[in-house]
Amino acid sequence: MASEGGDGAGLLAPQPAGVAAGIPRLARRGLGSIRGAPKLSLLFLLIALICAIFAESISPHNPIEVTTDILEAPSSSHWLGTDMQGRDALTRVIYGAQISVMVALSAVALAAAVGTTVALLSGVLRGWVDTVLMRLTDGFLALPSLMVALVVISILGPSIPNVILVIGLTRWMAYARVIRGEVLKLMEMDFVRLAHVAGASRPRIMIRHVFPNVANTLLVLVTLEVGLAVIAESSLSFLGFGVPRPLPSWGSMLRDAQEFIYITWWLPVFPGLAITFLVMSCNLTGDWLRDRLDPTRRQL
Amino acid sequence: MGRYVARRVLQGVVTLYLISLAVFVMLRVGGGNPIAHMLPPDATALEMELMTKAYGFDKPLHHQYWIYNKKLLRGDLGDALSWDKRPAADVVFDRLPATLQLSGSALLWAVVVGVALGAISAAKPDTIFDRIGKLVAIIAQSMPVFWVGLLMILGFSVYLGWLPSAGGIDRLGPKGIILPAVTLGFFLIASHMRIVRSTMLEVLESDYIKMVRAKGLPTRMVLWKHAFKNASIPVFTLFFVNFAGLISGAVITETIFAWPGVGRLLVESLLVRDYPTTQAVIFFVAAFILFINIFVDIMYAWLDPRIRIAQ
Repeated sequence: MASEGGDGAGLLAPQPAGVAAGIPRLARRGLGSIRGAPKLSLLFLLIALICAIFAESISPHNPIEVTTDILEAPSSSHWLGTDMQGRDALTRVIYGAQISVMVALSAVALAAAVGTTVALLSGVLRGWVDTVLMRLTDGFLALPSLMVALVVISILGPSIPNVILVIGLTRWMAYARVIRGEVLKLMEMDFVRLAHVAGASRPRIMIRHVFPNVANTLLVLVTLEVGLAVIAESSLSFLGFGVPRPLPSWGSMLRDAQEFIYITWWLPVFPGLAITFLVMSCNLTGDWLRDRLDPTRRQL
Repeated sequence: MGRYVARRVLQGVVTLYLISLAVFVMLRVGGGNPIAHMLPPDATALEMELMTKAYGFDKPLHHQYWIYNKKLLRGDLGDALSWDKRPAADVVFDRLPATLQLSGSALLWAVVVGVALGAISAAKPDTIFDRIGKLVAIIAQSMPVFWVGLLMILGFSVYLGWLPSAGGIDRLGPKGIILPAVTLGFFLIASHMRIVRSTMLEVLESDYIKMVRAKGLPTRMVLWKHAFKNASIPVFTLFFVNFAGLISGAVITETIFAWPGVGRLLVESLLVRDYPTTQAVIFFVAAFILFINIFVDIMYAWLDPRIRIAQ
């Protein structure tokens, strides 16, 4: 995948939320594309999905059952070794995909729903609604999101639904900002004005005329945000404020691995590789989708 | 310009107040009783009640909030429930230097390395160097900060034994800051590199660069004297925009390396339900982020006349 793509299509840096808004689009044009990267990324996403869906049938062992084979190095019976409770690391990495994919997709769906609603209301209704919603968005952007997530989780208690809720509600601002911009542009276009003249109500304009035209942008944002949500979930779990034990989350596996880092190299390495590959695949797929869906950038 | 600054500062103060209100309500409504964490496990119900009264947690919420506001106006964020019951603001200020040291060093090395790599990449596009840099940037942006930290410990502490894996700068001297700072700065290298590379490439395409080239200026001069200067404006934005991300990273980095900073203070306070300290940490961090945002906007208005005129 290190081979060079000759088309030079823009590969946009996956920015942390809110960053994209502050930097002009052209300036963010990335490092050029890498040939084959989209295919490899899609392949890896497929593998992650298969692991997530069929975890039970493809894992060699039980992810939670405690055994006496503790801290064994990788071998033919335990490909990635075992942890301090004798659980097979490969099994836990496979089940970890289930948790990561599920949490990330749900959180991103929630964030996208909130952000898009805010954007549509803001951009179509304008006036005081716009002012209030945009100040709210700015306020949320000023929050240290990880810190807020920690506070909320410590109040609600660590559980999968709470992690989804917290990530979803601290990561919707990028959608609100970017899509509002698109909505404002669309509202000035003739077909929307004609719909207005023809007597279409504002909810109808919002849903029938504006929303379908921001769907592409939404799709690209969602793909890029899934990677960030995976990192957010694993960070919370790593700090002990995420998916509760003994559920196999990549973040909490790494948290446990730190205790034994002086005697086992395999425990800290493999879950991290899984996170990195999943996030990288989401980022590259998002970049590729952006180039595909935005013809003005395809020739760049 | 003066009116613009005043408006932004006022907005910032209102936002900060709303954030502190939200945190206050969240902690009080759902947080559980912190008194349970302050007394030994065999404390009687009467002792619990007396303690709760003494700290005012039995009063109605709006009353507690009134007291909180009165204190806030005097610059008093309440006393910590742990940490020897010292004023929460003092507890945060004690931890602040460690966090600033860590994030300052992280930012510094990330900017220097990222800008250098980006500039060299742009100067020699599509060479082997450029391709390796591109690949490294893509991978670096996908690695979670805690995994970078663990790999650093695995490599430099466990196998090579060169650097300590935990502790603050006081105990270990300057050696102690290397791994935490490199870890925290790691993800920033990629973003700096990408932005410098792409803006440099754009600048190199521009007419005035073609002009100085046509004048016969050596490539080195063209790159560093003319192109780099103009490419540094987005770097400036990125530098400040990254501050917020840096704080999230600091919470994690401080936890991995047992670094005695504000991020770890937050995690420790949450575990014992120390409301005042939690509130104080969020208050100061939010104030800091708001300040940076306002500062950047003002700097922009000052640097770029077009923005100033639009105001």
